[in-house]
Amino acid sequence: MGKFAQEFAKGLIITNPVLVLLLGLCPALAVSTSIDNALGMTLAVLIVLLGSNIIIAAMRNFVPSITRIPIFIVIIATLVTVVNLLFHAYLPDLHETLGIYLPLVVVNCIVLGRAEAFASKNPVVRSIADALGMTVGFMLALLMISLIRQMLGTGEMSVFGVHFFSLPVLSSRPVAIFILPPGGFLVIGLLLGLFKWTGVLKR
Amino acid sequence: MPAKDVFGRAFPVILLTAVVAICVSLLTYVGSITLPRIEALEVQKIQGMLSGMFPDMSRYTFEDEIYAIYSDEVRIGYAFVAVGKGYGGAINILVGLEDEATIKRITVISHTETPGLGSRITEDLFTGQFVRLSVDDAALRRDGGQIDAITGATISSRAVADAVRITAVEKVKVLEDSEEGG
Repeated sequence: MGKFAQEFAKGLIITNPVLVLLLGLCPALAVSTSIDNALGMTLAVLIVLLGSNIIIAAMRNFVPSITRIPIFIVIIATLVTVVNLLFHAYLPDLHETLGIYLPLVVVNCIVLGRAEAFASKNPVVRSIADALGMTVGFMLALLMISLIRQMLGTGEMSVFGVHFFSLPVLSSRPVAIFILPPGGFLVIGLLLGLFKWTGVLKR
Repeated sequence: MPAKDVFGRAFPVILLTAVVAICVSLLTYVGSITLPRIEALEVQKIQGMLSGMFPDMSRYTFEDEIYAIYSDEVRIGYAFVAVGKGYGGAINILVGLEDEATIKRITVISHTETPGLGSRITEDLFTGQFVRLSVDDAALRRDGGQIDAITGATISSRAVADAVRITAVEKVKVLEDSEEGG
Protein backbone atom coordinates (compact mmCIF):
# COMPACT_ATOMS: atom_id res chain seq x y z
CA MET A 1 0.00 0.00 0.00
CA GLY A 2 2.87 2.33 0.78
CA LYS A 3 4.20 2.03 -2.76
CA PHE A 4 0.73 2.52 -4.26
CA ALA A 5 0.18 5.71 -2.26
CA GLN A 6 3.66 6.91 -3.17
CA GLU A 7 3.12 6.41 -6.91
CA PHE A 8 -0.23 8.14 -6.61
CA ALA A 9 1.01 11.12 -4.61
CA LYS A 10 3.98 11.94 -6.82
CA GLY A 11 1.67 12.93 -9.68
CA LEU A 12 -0.10 15.56 -7.60
CA ILE A 13 2.76 17.95 -6.91
CA ILE A 14 6.31 16.59 -7.23
CA THR A 15 5.88 15.42 -10.83
CA ASN A 16 2.63 17.20 -11.63
CA PRO A 17 2.20 16.48 -15.35
CA VAL A 18 1.25 20.01 -16.35
CA LEU A 19 3.03 22.27 -13.86
CA VAL A 20 6.29 20.32 -13.49
CA LEU A 21 6.69 17.92 -16.41
CA LEU A 22 5.06 20.49 -18.72
CA LEU A 23 3.26 17.68 -20.52
CA GLY A 24 -0.23 17.89 -21.97
CA LEU A 25 0.04 21.62 -22.43
CA CYS A 26 -2.09 21.54 -25.59
CA PRO A 27 -5.29 20.37 -23.83
CA ALA A 28 -4.32 22.28 -20.69
CA LEU A 29 -4.30 25.50 -22.67
CA ALA A 30 -7.15 24.69 -25.03
CA VAL A 31 -9.88 23.45 -22.71
CA SER A 32 -9.05 25.46 -19.60
CA THR A 33 -11.51 28.20 -20.53
CA SER A 34 -14.13 26.92 -18.09
CA ILE A 35 -14.41 24.55 -15.14
CA ASP A 36 -16.90 22.40 -17.09
CA ASN A 37 -14.42 21.79 -19.88
CA ALA A 38 -11.62 21.10 -17.39
CA LEU A 39 -13.64 18.42 -15.60
CA GLY A 40 -14.89 16.85 -18.85
CA MET A 41 -11.34 16.64 -20.18
CA THR A 42 -10.17 15.13 -16.88
CA LEU A 43 -12.78 12.38 -17.21
CA ALA A 44 -11.60 11.57 -20.74
CA VAL A 45 -7.95 11.56 -19.69
CA LEU A 46 -8.75 9.36 -16.68
CA ILE A 47 -10.36 6.66 -18.80
CA VAL A 48 -7.69 6.72 -21.51
CA LEU A 49 -4.68 6.96 -19.19
CA LEU A 50 -5.95 4.27 -16.84
CA GLY A 51 -6.76 1.97 -19.77
CA SER A 52 -3.46 2.52 -21.57
CA ASN A 53 -1.36 2.20 -18.40
CA ILE A 54 -3.07 -1.10 -17.47
CA ILE A 55 -2.80 -2.63 -20.94
CA ILE A 56 0.75 -1.50 -21.54
CA ALA A 57 1.94 -2.61 -18.09
CA ALA A 58 0.33 -6.01 -18.68
CA MET A 59 2.06 -6.36 -22.06
CA ARG A 60 5.42 -4.93 -20.96
CA ASN A 61 7.30 -8.24 -20.83
CA PHE A 62 6.76 -9.27 -24.42
CA VAL A 63 6.51 -6.00 -26.36
CA PRO A 64 9.72 -5.72 -28.39
CA SER A 65 11.36 -2.33 -27.99
CA ILE A 66 11.59 -1.87 -31.77
CA THR A 67 7.79 -1.71 -32.25
CA ARG A 68 6.78 -0.43 -28.82
CA ILE A 69 5.88 3.12 -29.90
CA PRO A 70 3.53 2.05 -32.74
CA ILE A 71 1.90 -0.47 -30.40
CA PHE A 72 1.41 2.17 -27.67
CA ILE A 73 -0.03 4.63 -30.18
CA VAL A 74 -2.47 2.08 -31.63
CA ILE A 75 -3.68 1.15 -28.13
CA ILE A 76 -4.03 4.79 -27.05
CA ALA A 77 -5.77 5.82 -30.29
CA THR A 78 -8.21 2.92 -29.92
CA LEU A 79 -9.04 3.88 -26.33
CA VAL A 80 -9.55 7.51 -27.31
CA THR A 81 -11.83 6.57 -30.20
CA VAL A 82 -13.86 4.28 -27.95
CA VAL A 83 -14.21 7.07 -25.36
CA ASN A 84 -15.14 9.51 -28.11
CA LEU A 85 -17.86 7.21 -29.49
CA LEU A 86 -19.24 6.41 -26.03
CA PHE A 87 -19.33 10.09 -25.02
CA HIS A 88 -21.04 10.90 -28.32
CA ALA A 89 -23.71 8.26 -27.74
CA TYR A 90 -24.25 8.49 -23.99
CA LEU A 91 -22.99 11.94 -22.89
CA PRO A 92 -23.85 14.07 -25.93
CA ASP A 93 -23.73 17.39 -24.04
CA LEU A 94 -20.23 16.76 -22.73
CA HIS A 95 -19.16 15.51 -26.14
CA GLU A 96 -20.33 18.77 -27.64
CA THR A 97 -18.49 20.95 -25.10
CA LEU A 98 -15.20 19.12 -25.54
CA GLY A 99 -15.51 19.09 -29.32
CA ILE A 100 -12.24 18.50 -31.13
CA TYR A 101 -10.18 18.28 -27.91
CA LEU A 102 -11.63 14.87 -27.09
CA PRO A 103 -10.14 13.10 -30.15
CA LEU A 104 -6.97 15.12 -29.56
CA VAL A 105 -6.33 13.22 -26.32
CA VAL A 106 -4.55 10.79 -28.69
CA VAL A 107 -1.67 13.22 -28.95
CA ASN A 108 -1.79 14.17 -25.28
CA CYS A 109 1.81 13.75 -24.21
CA ILE A 110 0.78 12.71 -20.71
CA VAL A 111 -0.73 9.48 -22.00
CA LEU A 112 2.15 8.45 -24.26
CA GLY A 113 4.65 9.86 -21.77
CA ARG A 114 3.37 7.69 -18.92
CA ALA A 115 3.17 4.65 -21.20
CA GLU A 116 6.80 5.05 -22.22
CA ALA A 117 8.29 6.31 -18.96
CA PHE A 118 6.29 4.32 -16.44
CA ALA A 119 3.81 1.65 -17.54
CA SER A 120 6.24 -0.10 -19.87
CA LYS A 121 8.63 -0.65 -16.94
CA ASN A 122 6.34 -1.23 -13.97
CA PRO A 123 3.75 -3.79 -12.85
CA VAL A 124 0.04 -3.24 -13.39
CA VAL A 125 -0.91 -2.15 -9.87
CA ARG A 126 1.76 0.53 -9.68
CA SER A 127 0.81 1.69 -13.16
CA ILE A 128 -2.77 2.12 -11.97
CA ALA A 129 -1.53 4.27 -9.08
CA ASP A 130 0.58 6.27 -11.50
CA ALA A 131 -2.37 6.82 -13.86
CA LEU A 132 -4.66 7.94 -11.04
CA GLY A 133 -2.05 10.29 -9.57
CA MET A 134 -1.24 11.82 -12.95
CA THR A 135 -4.94 12.33 -13.71
CA VAL A 136 -5.56 14.05 -10.39
CA GLY A 137 -2.46 16.20 -10.94
CA PHE A 138 -3.75 17.07 -14.41
CA MET A 139 -7.15 17.93 -12.93
CA LEU A 140 -5.66 20.16 -10.22
CA ALA A 141 -3.60 22.08 -12.76
CA LEU A 142 -6.52 22.41 -15.16
CA LEU A 143 -8.87 23.55 -12.41
CA MET A 144 -6.42 26.22 -11.27
CA ILE A 145 -5.95 27.55 -14.80
CA SER A 146 -9.60 27.41 -15.76
CA LEU A 147 -10.77 28.98 -12.49
CA ILE A 148 -8.64 32.04 -13.17
CA ARG A 149 -9.49 32.19 -16.87
CA GLN A 150 -13.23 31.73 -16.40
CA MET A 151 -13.42 34.33 -13.62
CA LEU A 152 -11.42 37.00 -15.41
CA GLY A 153 -12.60 36.16 -18.90
CA THR A 154 -16.34 35.96 -18.27
CA GLY A 155 -16.68 37.63 -14.86
CA GLU A 156 -18.93 34.81 -13.73
CA MET A 157 -18.54 31.47 -12.04
CA SER A 158 -20.91 28.70 -12.99
CA VAL A 159 -20.28 24.96 -13.14
CA PHE A 160 -22.49 22.65 -15.24
CA GLY A 161 -25.20 25.32 -15.46
CA VAL A 162 -25.25 26.02 -11.72
CA HIS A 163 -24.49 29.67 -11.20
CA PHE A 164 -22.30 30.47 -8.19
CA PHE A 165 -21.43 34.15 -8.32
CA SER A 166 -20.77 37.08 -10.59
CA LEU A 167 -17.86 39.41 -10.03
CA PRO A 168 -18.91 43.07 -9.70
CA VAL A 169 -17.10 44.92 -12.49
CA LEU A 170 -15.88 41.97 -14.56
CA SER A 171 -19.28 40.47 -15.38
CA SER A 172 -20.27 43.53 -17.38
CA ARG A 173 -16.80 44.17 -18.79
CA PRO A 174 -14.96 40.81 -18.85
CA VAL A 175 -11.30 40.72 -19.82
CA ALA A 176 -11.91 38.66 -22.92
CA ILE A 177 -8.23 37.95 -23.58
CA PHE A 178 -8.23 35.45 -20.71
CA ILE A 179 -10.53 33.04 -22.53
CA LEU A 180 -8.67 33.51 -25.79
CA PRO A 181 -5.50 31.47 -26.47
CA PRO A 182 -3.07 34.22 -25.32
CA GLY A 183 -4.83 34.25 -21.94
CA GLY A 184 -4.05 30.55 -21.55
CA PHE A 185 -0.35 31.19 -22.04
CA LEU A 186 -0.41 34.18 -19.67
CA VAL A 187 -2.15 32.28 -16.89
CA ILE A 188 -0.09 29.11 -17.16
CA GLY A 189 3.13 31.13 -17.37
CA LEU A 190 2.25 33.18 -14.30
CA LEU A 191 1.19 30.05 -12.40
CA LEU A 192 4.46 28.29 -13.22
CA GLY A 193 6.39 31.36 -12.11
CA LEU A 194 4.40 31.65 -8.92
CA PHE A 195 4.89 27.98 -8.04
CA LYS A 196 8.61 28.13 -8.71
CA TRP A 197 8.97 31.36 -6.75
CA THR A 198 7.14 30.15 -3.68
CA GLY A 199 9.05 26.87 -3.86
CA VAL A 200 5.93 24.72 -3.79
CA LEU A 201 7.19 22.68 -6.69
CA LYS A 202 10.80 22.37 -5.58
CA ARG A 203 11.92 18.82 -5.99
CA MET B 1 18.40 -19.81 -40.67
CA PRO B 2 16.96 -21.71 -37.70
CA ALA B 3 13.20 -21.54 -37.27
CA LYS B 4 13.46 -19.93 -33.88
CA ASP B 5 15.48 -17.04 -35.27
CA VAL B 6 12.97 -16.40 -38.06
CA PHE B 7 10.20 -16.26 -35.52
CA GLY B 8 12.28 -13.96 -33.33
CA ARG B 9 12.77 -11.55 -36.20
CA ALA B 10 9.16 -11.68 -37.33
CA PHE B 11 7.71 -11.42 -33.83
CA PRO B 12 7.52 -7.58 -33.66
CA VAL B 13 5.61 -7.55 -36.97
CA ILE B 14 3.28 -10.32 -35.86
CA LEU B 15 2.61 -8.66 -32.53
CA LEU B 16 1.91 -5.26 -34.07
CA THR B 17 -0.40 -6.83 -36.65
CA ALA B 18 -2.22 -8.71 -33.91
CA VAL B 19 -2.61 -5.58 -31.79
CA VAL B 20 -3.96 -3.63 -34.77
CA ALA B 21 -6.37 -6.46 -35.63
CA ILE B 22 -7.70 -6.59 -32.07
CA CYS B 23 -8.06 -2.80 -31.93
CA VAL B 24 -9.86 -2.67 -35.28
CA SER B 25 -12.32 -5.37 -34.21
CA LEU B 26 -12.96 -3.57 -30.92
CA LEU B 27 -13.56 -0.28 -32.71
CA THR B 28 -15.87 -1.89 -35.27
CA TYR B 29 -17.87 -3.40 -32.42
CA VAL B 30 -18.10 -0.18 -30.38
CA GLY B 31 -18.87 1.77 -33.55
CA SER B 32 -21.71 -0.58 -34.46
CA ILE B 33 -23.32 -0.42 -31.02
CA THR B 34 -23.04 3.35 -30.67
CA LEU B 35 -24.01 4.31 -34.24
CA PRO B 36 -27.80 3.78 -33.89
CA ARG B 37 -27.80 5.81 -30.67
CA ILE B 38 -25.75 8.62 -32.17
CA GLU B 39 -28.05 8.75 -35.20
CA ALA B 40 -31.17 8.64 -33.04
CA LEU B 41 -29.82 11.51 -30.92
CA GLU B 42 -29.13 13.49 -34.08
CA VAL B 43 -32.69 12.96 -35.38
CA GLN B 44 -34.12 13.75 -31.95
CA LYS B 45 -32.09 16.94 -31.81
CA ILE B 46 -33.25 18.12 -35.25
CA GLN B 47 -36.84 17.20 -34.41
CA GLY B 48 -36.68 19.10 -31.12
CA MET B 49 -35.23 22.14 -32.83
CA LEU B 50 -37.83 22.05 -35.61
CA SER B 51 -40.74 21.84 -33.19
CA GLY B 52 -39.15 24.60 -31.11
CA MET B 53 -39.09 26.72 -34.23
CA PHE B 54 -42.56 25.75 -35.45
CA PRO B 55 -44.66 24.97 -32.34
CA ASP B 56 -47.63 24.00 -34.54
CA MET B 57 -45.65 21.36 -36.42
CA SER B 58 -47.41 18.03 -36.72
CA ARG B 59 -45.01 16.43 -39.18
CA TYR B 60 -42.16 17.25 -41.52
CA THR B 61 -40.65 15.92 -44.70
CA PHE B 62 -37.01 16.02 -45.72
CA GLU B 63 -36.17 16.39 -49.38
CA ASP B 64 -33.31 18.09 -51.25
CA GLU B 65 -31.79 18.85 -47.82
CA ILE B 66 -34.82 21.01 -47.01
CA TYR B 67 -37.29 20.28 -44.23
CA ALA B 68 -40.86 21.15 -45.19
CA ILE B 69 -42.95 21.74 -42.09
CA TYR B 70 -46.63 20.81 -42.00
CA SER B 71 -49.37 21.50 -39.50
CA ASP B 72 -52.52 19.48 -40.20
CA GLU B 73 -51.41 18.91 -43.79
CA VAL B 74 -50.94 22.63 -44.39
CA ARG B 75 -47.40 23.70 -45.12
CA ILE B 76 -46.37 26.34 -42.60
CA GLY B 77 -42.73 26.79 -43.47
CA TYR B 78 -39.37 25.42 -44.41
CA ALA B 79 -36.16 24.77 -42.53
CA PHE B 80 -32.64 23.93 -43.63
CA VAL B 81 -29.11 23.83 -42.31
CA ALA B 82 -26.76 26.66 -43.25
CA VAL B 83 -23.02 26.35 -42.73
CA GLY B 84 -21.05 29.49 -41.96
CA LYS B 85 -17.28 29.85 -41.82
CA GLY B 86 -16.66 31.28 -38.36
CA TYR B 87 -13.58 32.38 -36.47
CA GLY B 88 -12.97 28.91 -35.04
CA GLY B 89 -14.39 26.67 -37.76
CA ALA B 90 -17.73 25.73 -39.25
CA ILE B 91 -20.92 27.08 -37.68
CA ASN B 92 -24.01 24.97 -38.37
CA ILE B 93 -27.23 26.92 -38.21
CA LEU B 94 -30.78 25.65 -38.52
CA VAL B 95 -32.77 28.30 -40.38
CA GLY B 96 -36.56 28.33 -40.41
CA LEU B 97 -38.39 30.19 -43.17
CA GLU B 98 -41.97 31.40 -42.78
CA ASP B 99 -42.27 31.88 -46.53
CA GLU B 100 -39.84 32.36 -49.41
CA ALA B 101 -38.76 35.82 -48.27
CA THR B 102 -39.11 35.84 -44.48
CA ILE B 103 -37.06 34.14 -41.79
CA LYS B 104 -39.03 32.54 -38.99
CA ARG B 105 -36.08 32.15 -36.64
CA ILE B 106 -32.61 30.61 -36.48
CA THR B 107 -30.92 28.21 -34.06
CA VAL B 108 -27.21 27.49 -33.91
CA ILE B 109 -26.79 23.70 -33.97
CA SER B 110 -23.05 23.52 -33.43
CA HIS B 111 -20.04 25.79 -33.54
CA THR B 112 -16.47 26.05 -32.32
CA GLU B 113 -16.32 29.80 -31.72
CA THR B 114 -14.38 31.37 -28.85
CA PRO B 115 -16.17 30.75 -25.56
CA GLY B 116 -17.60 33.96 -24.16
CA LEU B 117 -17.11 35.92 -27.37
CA GLY B 118 -18.10 34.23 -30.62
CA SER B 119 -20.02 31.58 -28.69
CA ARG B 120 -22.61 34.25 -27.90
CA ILE B 121 -24.04 33.73 -31.40
CA THR B 122 -26.16 31.05 -29.70
CA GLU B 123 -27.81 33.56 -27.36
CA ASP B 124 -31.30 34.91 -27.96
CA LEU B 125 -29.94 38.44 -27.90
CA PHE B 126 -28.24 37.68 -31.21
CA THR B 127 -30.47 35.05 -32.83
CA GLY B 128 -33.60 37.00 -31.84
CA GLN B 129 -32.63 39.64 -34.37
CA PHE B 130 -33.40 37.18 -37.17
CA VAL B 131 -37.01 36.56 -36.09
CA ARG B 132 -39.37 37.61 -38.90
CA LEU B 133 -36.53 39.30 -40.71
CA SER B 134 -36.61 39.63 -44.46
CA VAL B 135 -34.02 37.30 -46.01
CA ASP B 136 -32.33 40.22 -47.80
CA ASP B 137 -31.77 42.04 -44.49
CA ALA B 138 -29.86 39.13 -42.94
CA ALA B 139 -26.50 40.90 -42.96
CA LEU B 140 -24.54 43.02 -40.53
CA ARG B 141 -25.45 46.71 -40.38
CA ARG B 142 -22.04 47.69 -41.69
CA ASP B 143 -22.69 45.37 -44.66
CA GLY B 144 -26.03 47.06 -45.36
CA GLY B 145 -28.31 44.73 -43.39
CA GLN B 146 -30.28 44.79 -40.16
CA ILE B 147 -28.16 42.67 -37.80
CA ASP B 148 -26.11 44.14 -34.96
CA ALA B 149 -22.85 42.26 -34.57
CA ILE B 150 -21.80 40.96 -31.15
CA THR B 151 -19.14 43.21 -29.66
CA GLY B 152 -15.74 41.63 -30.19
CA ALA B 153 -17.13 38.88 -32.40
CA THR B 154 -17.67 40.52 -35.76
CA ILE B 155 -16.31 37.55 -37.71
CA SER B 156 -18.64 35.06 -36.00
CA SER B 157 -21.62 37.41 -36.34
CA ARG B 158 -20.93 38.04 -40.01
CA ALA B 159 -20.43 34.32 -40.67
CA VAL B 160 -23.89 33.57 -39.26
CA ALA B 161 -25.69 36.42 -41.02
CA ASP B 162 -24.05 35.74 -44.38
CA ALA B 163 -24.56 31.98 -44.19
CA VAL B 164 -28.25 32.48 -43.37
CA ARG B 165 -28.81 34.92 -46.23
CA ILE B 166 -26.77 33.11 -48.89
CA THR B 167 -28.13 29.66 -48.05
CA ALA B 168 -31.70 30.97 -47.84
CA VAL B 169 -31.42 32.44 -51.33
CA GLU B 170 -30.02 29.14 -52.63
CA LYS B 171 -32.70 27.02 -50.97
CA VAL B 172 -35.54 29.28 -52.13
CA LYS B 173 -34.21 28.85 -55.66
CA VAL B 174 -34.23 25.06 -55.22
CA LEU B 175 -37.81 25.24 -53.94
CA GLU B 176 -38.95 27.40 -56.83
CA ASP B 177 -37.25 25.14 -59.37
CA SER B 178 -38.84 22.02 -57.93
CA GLU B 179 -42.26 23.67 -57.89
CA GLU B 180 -41.90 24.68 -61.53
CA GLY B 181 -40.75 21.19 -62.42
CA GLY B 182 -43.49 19.50 -60.41
